[in-house]
Amino acid sequence: MASTQPSVSTLSAGYASLRAKRSHRAKKLITYVLLTIFGLFFAFPLFWTLSSSLQTWQELRSYTPRLWPEVPQWSNYADVLRLVPFARWMINSFTIVLINIPGTIFTATMTAYAFARFNFFGKNVWFVLLLSTMMIPAIVTIIPQYLLFFNLKLIDTYVPLTIGAWLGGGAFMIFLLRQFIMSIPRDLDEAATIDGAGPFRILWSVLVPLMKPALTTVAILQFLTDWNDFFGPFIYLNTMARYTAAVGLRTFQHMALETTDPRDHLLMAGAAIMTIPVLVLFAAAQRYFVSGVVLTGLKV
Amino acid sequence: MLPWLLGFFGLFIGPSLYSFYLSFTKYDVLSPPEFIGLRNYVHMFTGDDLFWPSLGRTAYYTLLSVPLSVVGSMFLAILLNSKLRGVTIYRTLFFMPSLVPLVASVLLFKWLLNSDFGIVNQALRGMGMERPPGWFSDSQWAIPSLVLLRLWGAIGGTQMIIFLAGLQNVPQELYDAAAIDGANSWQSTRHVTIPMLTPTIFFNTVLGIIGAMQTFAAAFVATEGGPGFATWFFALHIWKHAFDYFNMGYGAALAWVLAVIIVILTLIQIRLSKRLVFYYGE
Repeated sequence: MASTQPSVSTLSAGYASLRAKRSHRAKKLITYVLLTIFGLFFAFPLFWTLSSSLQTWQELRSYTPRLWPEVPQWSNYADVLRLVPFARWMINSFTIVLINIPGTIFTATMTAYAFARFNFFGKNVWFVLLLSTMMIPAIVTIIPQYLLFFNLKLIDTYVPLTIGAWLGGGAFMIFLLRQFIMSIPRDLDEAATIDGAGPFRILWSVLVPLMKPALTTVAILQFLTDWNDFFGPFIYLNTMARYTAAVGLRTFQHMALETTDPRDHLLMAGAAIMTIPVLVLFAAAQRYFVSGVVLTGLKV
Repeated sequence: MLPWLLGFFGLFIGPSLYSFYLSFTKYDVLSPPEFIGLRNYVHMFTGDDLFWPSLGRTAYYTLLSVPLSVVGSMFLAILLNSKLRGVTIYRTLFFMPSLVPLVASVLLFKWLLNSDFGIVNQALRGMGMERPPGWFSDSQWAIPSLVLLRLWGAIGGTQMIIFLAGLQNVPQELYDAAAIDGANSWQSTRHVTIPMLTPTIFFNTVLGIIGAMQTFAAAFVATEGGPGFATWFFALHIWKHAFDYFNMGYGAALAWVLAVIIVILTLIQIRLSKRLVFYYGE
């Protein structure tokens, strides 16, 4: 008995490692299968937008649908631009984005700098107040803001949609930049002070050059916020020529056009046109899309 | 600092206080606000037929979408955290839908789920289902359709990235210890990964609820609150009174009710988190 024991245990150890290897392989396979199922769930609607935007409406409404058009109808895109002022709307969206990005960068950086580097009366209270603005629903402030702009005769202009960016740019941006500035060693500030630099010199010539990744993230977040925003432009803008792409695309669903044919293919082309700038930006600056999470040092 | 202070008072504190005052008035923008005491609040509970339904629908949507999206994001993050080849390609693929602007994704889902010609129902019919769901055009299915849209657009986005960051903070030694104790992979997920992720789950749930309670654009663009008020969320109710009927006083009162509900829900969650959330090393 005693002599057989080692061999049994060796055998069972070998069997266990074999089993472990096999279960490892099975686990890998299951993971890939699940990843692929989810991949299809995410990818198919994207693919279908593109495919639908290139079909004729007759093709789309047949009872034997095609996954890909027989002849891709690139003219659908031209039709969208011809039938509705989509180009105008895209330019309007870009205009708002281009006004807001420097605003946020400039004012959020200064506010973040004050929170990160200076002691002033009630600083902690102010900071808590800043963070609390992230929690209070925007809907509470939108009514009085609307009335304010209404009384200033600024409805149907871009002022209500851009002033926020020039007045701090929102709590999240300030918080993100403050976290980043706090991670920069103070020695650099002190060295610059010894060289005779004032606080603004320090900010613009010492800190800002080091803050490029954080500022890029802020710019991208601002772009995404404005590009996606529906509620703001929807309540503040009345004239169709001033619409943004988001509001315009929604209106396109029900607008009276010169044709009464089904327009699903055109709506999909519009959706694609509106998505392209975001995808281009993502391709160019992928890592900054996720770095907001890392930069805030979110305690997770 | 100064610009932010201006913005803080001009666009946040001032308007908040003013909206609180407005909630006790009758104000149609054209004539000055008229103080009417608590009448707006009384009307809400006694004379507004859509107050409770809109609150109920918002709650239903929140209860359905938030847990599914938090669990979904966590599940995807755990899948992606396995160190397999090609995982970054999947990560990019999962992230892409969150880049699609909301209005574009709403139109896309309306088309995908079109009851007659949508590819989903064509496929369901092809598989032998005689009467597939009417999705956005059916009052029973309209909210689930919005949830589906939300899951597609959100679970692979920032929320998943936050979970991935959370997973990277789980110390390897905990898994090693679990393996020595003979834990299989399900057990180590259940007893190591999930407890270690509770702070992330908490964070995503709190933000998810705050967002879901305020849902406006998706429901408005998809169905304008229909069919038959089936997606008449509370935010639509506020918008209708404030910006369509120009009952600014009543709209402000409704907005304050929503704000108070959201703050109470958040405080309850913070209270619960003391018992349910596990902070490693404390």
